[in-house]
Amino acid sequence: MPSTIEKNSRVSVEERLFSLVLALIATEVGLTKADILSTVQGYRQRYLPGGDNASLERQFERDKDDIRELGIPLEVVEPPDDPGSNHHLRYRIPKGLYELPVGVTFSPDELMLLKLAATVWREGSLSAESRRAMTKLHALGIDSSDPVLGYSPSLRVREASFEPLSKAMDRGQVVAFLYLKPGEAAARRRQVEPRAMVLHDGRWHLFGTDQDAAATRTYLLSRIVGPVVTVPGASFVAHGDGQGQEALSELEALWTANIAVIAARPGSDAAVRLSKRVAPGEIRTNADASALHLNFTDLNVFADELAGYGPEVLVHSPAALRTAVRSRLITVRDAHTDFDLNVHPDTTTAADE
Amino acid sequence: MNGGPALGASDKLTFLLALVPFLMDHDRISVTDVAAHFGVSPDRVRDAVNLIAVSGIPGETRQYLHGDLFDIHWDEFETNDLIVLTHLVAIDDSPRFSAREAAALIAGLQYLSSLPENADVDAIASLMAKLTRSASAAPSQVAVSGTDARSSIAVVQAAVRGGVQIEFDYLNARGENELRRVDPWRIQSVDRDWYLRGWCHLREAARTFRLDRMSDLHVTDVPTNPRSADAVPTETLFEGSASDQDVTVELPTSAVPLLADYAPYGAPGAHGDRVRRTLKVAHYHGLKRLVTGLAGVVEVVDPAEARAVVREWAAAGVARYDESEPTDAGE
Repeated sequence: MPSTIEKNSRVSVEERLFSLVLALIATEVGLTKADILSTVQGYRQRYLPGGDNASLERQFERDKDDIRELGIPLEVVEPPDDPGSNHHLRYRIPKGLYELPVGVTFSPDELMLLKLAATVWREGSLSAESRRAMTKLHALGIDSSDPVLGYSPSLRVREASFEPLSKAMDRGQVVAFLYLKPGEAAARRRQVEPRAMVLHDGRWHLFGTDQDAAATRTYLLSRIVGPVVTVPGASFVAHGDGQGQEALSELEALWTANIAVIAARPGSDAAVRLSKRVAPGEIRTNADASALHLNFTDLNVFADELAGYGPEVLVHSPAALRTAVRSRLITVRDAHTDFDLNVHPDTTTAADE
Repeated sequence: MNGGPALGASDKLTFLLALVPFLMDHDRISVTDVAAHFGVSPDRVRDAVNLIAVSGIPGETRQYLHGDLFDIHWDEFETNDLIVLTHLVAIDDSPRFSAREAAALIAGLQYLSSLPENADVDAIASLMAKLTRSASAAPSQVAVSGTDARSSIAVVQAAVRGGVQIEFDYLNARGENELRRVDPWRIQSVDRDWYLRGWCHLREAARTFRLDRMSDLHVTDVPTNPRSADAVPTETLFEGSASDQDVTVELPTSAVPLLADYAPYGAPGAHGDRVRRTLKVAHYHGLKRLVTGLAGVVEVVDPAEARAVVREWAAAGVARYDESEPTDAGE
């Protein structure tokens, strides 16, 4: 919150943060909060000796969080002679943990690949994170190889829940949100330990422990309706790395196990597009897309997609998928039928060109 | 949202911390060279150097005396736009990545690793390991499965590199199938969908094609035409068109994000927890698929013609099930 004091000081935010980082790296034993507020550029201008520095202290608390968010290891040291004392806590940034480890280098080819990886994120927080990571990489002074020409892959995170979920995951906080499970009519509150964020089959998933069910669950981010809130006081210990890979393998296993047999009308959108998804080497009953074998992850999500193809697709099996698609089509037909009107509106081709 | 610094402040701080070790390694370097290396404007470099040159640590005296500050060769900077660091304080190496920064790059690499060019699995794995080691905490658990890299990507890619035209049958979003001959410019993916941007000789205009709508793709030996200046590919894949029509739909408030790609805007007539939104659509051919794919969520309310198209589409689908024997579940 910009206060009146802030207006009087000419020190910019980045100058204050930069000065704080420098001061905390330069100190071996650490600086107390009083040291910092009274001497570091950006704080000292607003410090009142012997006065009320509450707003300045809050500023310092926020700055600490922001610095840590950037991956800078800001440590708190308890004085050995006075453990438990809040007043004599000391802050410092150990240089060895701040700097890139000795011996880590990147070749021009690797840098080119990392640049491409960074540009994959076009929007949202991951694009800001990638951009900062690239700034740090550029500090190494390596010139990258020429980028691959004519090539521009991108990923998006459209779901607003991504940001609060991934923050809570990094901080080990339990979250709660309303979840509208595909195929169900009403949303239900879930309380979850977030363990990984996973993009599979073009969709973002949250992998986590559902505290009510006391079991691992996977949620589609697109089905989280309403805000994600952290549950006050509820935290958990990180499950260690490999969570993302575990979640991916689970989804992959589901995808492999679920096989639908569908018929696509020859020459239709469905035939052209769905036939591309048949894995190479997959047995096709015949070449005209009248019996395609397709893998899928979630029955209800796949049913939504197939329903979109309308009469171009007929599901043979599994029976549950067939029923799900048919009932979706009936729902749409009925929702768009004006039962009180006996006149059938003209349905000649709509709006071509 | 918590009160993080404005995006600008985090980025600026990171730039300052990265610039110092870079300048250390370069005794004398021009502002424009630094700008080019970091991909930023020369002014941003000058601002950063001006700040670094007066920054430092409180020091023994706690007074930020001269010896406790960075220093530069001011004449060279002001007269020749050259940066020469003459005194260093506190930092001399690049900072580690944050858990999230490392995670963003690792997930980006996972996505790239399924593409034909980047098939060197070992090289990618070793790069990911390096990123993990270079992060100040274990990288956030963000994982991305590979994209469906079909052979058509490799074919188009080869044509882009070789500067030759390609030919394919294209089933457009209106359901029309035509033979296209295209100067391929660039392949782009958005999530799991792949697109080709290029010059369409049939339409004599720049066009975007979905790779999964192409059939019988083959590379010709005809060289592509030199690209005219006004045909520089833009970042946007799709442009709206004047012929787009307005369609009003009704849906639950919470489902509005599902239509983000169609840039919906508010429309009157909302009630309860449902809202109305107006979308611009090029044709009903796509609309009926969109709405039928969101069964029970989105309902077209206006115009009546659009409602009818959706109804007929769904009804025709239902009819296929009614015709086929429901108990016979495939093989």
